[in-house]
Amino acid sequence: MVTKPDISVKLCGCELENPFMLSSAPPTCTGEMICNAFEHGWGGAVTKTIKPDKTPVYDLDNRFGVMGFEDKQMVVFENIEEVTKRKVGEWVRDIKDIKKKFPEKVLIGSLMAEPIEDDWENLARTISEAGVDMLELNFGCPHGMPERGMGAFCGQRPDLITKLTKAAKRGSSVPVMVKLTPNVTDITFMAKTASDSGADAISAINTVLGLIGVNLDTFEPIPTVDGRSTFGGMSGPGMKPIGVRCVAQIAQAVNIPVSGIGGISDWRDAVEYMLVGASNVQVCTSVMWRGYRIIGDFVDGLSRYLGDKGFSSVNEIVGLTLPKLTSWSALNKNWSVVASINKDVCIKCGLCHVACRDGGYQAINFKQGEAAEVVDEKCDACSLCYNLCPAQPGCITWKRCP
Amino acid sequence: MSAGRIHPPVIPPQDRIKGFDPYVANLNDRTALYESTRCFMCFDAPCISGCPTRINIPEFIYRIKTGNYRGAAKVIRESNVFGGECGYVCPVERLCEVRCIRNNLNDEPVAIGLLQRFAYEKEKQKGLVKFDQAKRKNKKVAVVGAGPSGMSAAYELALKGYDVTVFDANPAPGGLLLYGILPWKVAWSVPENEVRNILEYGVEFTHKRVNDLSPLLKEYAAVFIGIGSTVCARCRIAGEDLPGVFLAEDFLCSVAKSIKGECKAPDLKGKRVAVVGGGDTALDAACASIRLGAAKVFLLYRRSVKEMPSVAYSRNQAREEGVEFMFLTAPTKVKGGKKVEGMECVRMELGPKDASGRSGIKPMEGSDFTLDVECVIMAVGQEPDQGTLKSFGVAVKNGLVKVDDNYATSLKGVFAGGDAVNGGDTVVEAAAEGKKAAAAIDKYLSGGK
Repeated sequence: MVTKPDISVKLCGCELENPFMLSSAPPTCTGEMICNAFEHGWGGAVTKTIKPDKTPVYDLDNRFGVMGFEDKQMVVFENIEEVTKRKVGEWVRDIKDIKKKFPEKVLIGSLMAEPIEDDWENLARTISEAGVDMLELNFGCPHGMPERGMGAFCGQRPDLITKLTKAAKRGSSVPVMVKLTPNVTDITFMAKTASDSGADAISAINTVLGLIGVNLDTFEPIPTVDGRSTFGGMSGPGMKPIGVRCVAQIAQAVNIPVSGIGGISDWRDAVEYMLVGASNVQVCTSVMWRGYRIIGDFVDGLSRYLGDKGFSSVNEIVGLTLPKLTSWSALNKNWSVVASINKDVCIKCGLCHVACRDGGYQAINFKQGEAAEVVDEKCDACSLCYNLCPAQPGCITWKRCP
Repeated sequence: MSAGRIHPPVIPPQDRIKGFDPYVANLNDRTALYESTRCFMCFDAPCISGCPTRINIPEFIYRIKTGNYRGAAKVIRESNVFGGECGYVCPVERLCEVRCIRNNLNDEPVAIGLLQRFAYEKEKQKGLVKFDQAKRKNKKVAVVGAGPSGMSAAYELALKGYDVTVFDANPAPGGLLLYGILPWKVAWSVPENEVRNILEYGVEFTHKRVNDLSPLLKEYAAVFIGIGSTVCARCRIAGEDLPGVFLAEDFLCSVAKSIKGECKAPDLKGKRVAVVGGGDTALDAACASIRLGAAKVFLLYRRSVKEMPSVAYSRNQAREEGVEFMFLTAPTKVKGGKKVEGMECVRMELGPKDASGRSGIKPMEGSDFTLDVECVIMAVGQEPDQGTLKSFGVAVKNGLVKVDDNYATSLKGVFAGGDAVNGGDTVVEAAAEGKKAAAAIDKYLSGGK
């Protein structure tokens, strides 16, 4: 029998049986839900964000929206939901209960408070003493909370990141991870600030601020709350490139572990995040879409991938891609190729021709009923045809220029 | 939401009847991805309850979607050790696919069978997925019959650590998978591969007909009977013994053997053939006759198409290949002296439904006619070999082995499943019963009840 690759990872001394955690969101709303997720096989979970009892929280009716694309029902998901409405005491009870039932799973308490140092210190003390393995500071929520000085309001202000991280560290008896918002000019600056302020790890990204859509009949923005709406947090598959970019940038900028979040729908997305430097990942939207049960394929798919590639531990892939990521200036301007169309695979749709004609270099000749042809001298190797050809893979390939 | 399912290319009827090879193309990576995205991954999915082996269908389809093909195959194989074979031969339109929630959207169901084939074809490239075997218990179990129920039971018992020996009258294990199902449905390499996989768990095969259980019961702690339903029923009409009248199971077996080069096929070239019966065996016999070069093939069924036990998919195949259906028609006599010179038939009419919900039938007066045929194939049902059951000494009810809810027969330590118990059902039902009986045998041998 072939030995199975080891998929356990460590995060600030905590052992995760697999690198898959639930992020702080509706799937981790209660202890009961988290226990159910653990039973399904998730390695860890970050609680829905806990806040001081004095901070009021509201949940609007109709707080989600989706953007589909063609026949796909959801490519981007929006929420304008706030943090937990539950009292600190309820969470303390739940945390004790979860850790009693699942001592081997990693439980992370997510925290948010107004930018008052004592509040962060006290909340960090209470929740860490309740028995969580780590804390995560929510400096990222981009809707609702920032209007009251919380969430992304803090994550967009380096001075607050410093002050509040230090305050939480003072109160906490466990490692502290800082969750960043991508809605900033330079996320690496925020990550370095957090790291310099004592953060033990970074998680990224929180949702991306956006507006998911407008109803063409009623002119109302979506999701519509009594006829009106506001900007909300985008998540789901369409947000993955932003998350991967942020995680890669952060991994290059700091020396503390990064927990990757954003649009992870299956094990392949998780592998991508790990290749650019995440030592573990967090998932929310795809669980909201299809349930905790998707963890089975995450674990199985990752194990098989590692085995097929000859890795003995998942830790070997963390950051493998980073050396290949560089600045635009450092890319090889002399590397020269042209597109080449395989006549036997070409389905004669003409899409490469029209794309090249109207969006490229008029380098592809096409006559109905015949395979398209590249004029080598005109091809600028922009890759538009390569990427849009419906007969890929195998139809359009790169040919090195002599 | 992607609507409309993938219909892979098929070899046109006029070409495919020239041979016995599979004629439906498999999915490729692209079509499998499309088809897998059509699965909603319903919660507590009804398709699963349509599968006798309870394969977690949404989970294996989800894994195809994420490119985890081998993980998909594992999900199938952990529920059904004949998952590849069943992907090809299951009557999915009345098991899983009929329950697909897509039907509720007036859309076609997800092509579960095709996706299962796809997973198998990917799996076999690196060898079938293996599972951990429990420590050897040093307890021996005998399995009589190497068809799907027997081999499935043998596999499950071997997994649990038992030493299993399978006995069969045929020289190779596989039973009807190799001698009853012709390769246009599934290439024989599929069952051969899956049977070999079972033997690789240490299951021993012995080429020996078992007529008496008592020596086995001395040597083995338990016995599983999976002898199938191999004896063809007869119509009980005059002329049934004439040369040129075949019994369907024997006919299909000799066609199978002729394809393997073990004997000559029945000579139907240029002949007019009548097949009597309405089940899948009748359709198989009709399509086999076409492939053997019959000039004309009639399929006679005494009820209407609505009552036919076969699935529409097989009927369409037969129709496309030129089989002429004669519904509400029953044979009364095979004519001829030394050979078949026609068959006397009568038209039937449907009466009111009986207690079982099936319409009663009676002959229409004065509707007799003679069908001009030179060969007749009787496909009116099978039953287990009664002589064998008698010599086994197990209690029998309506010609079938009588078992309790745990597949235990009237003899202590003897269990049974598959067609010998259910009277003739699907491969997947046989595999499921073998699996369930194996669990019962394990319980019995572990001191449970």
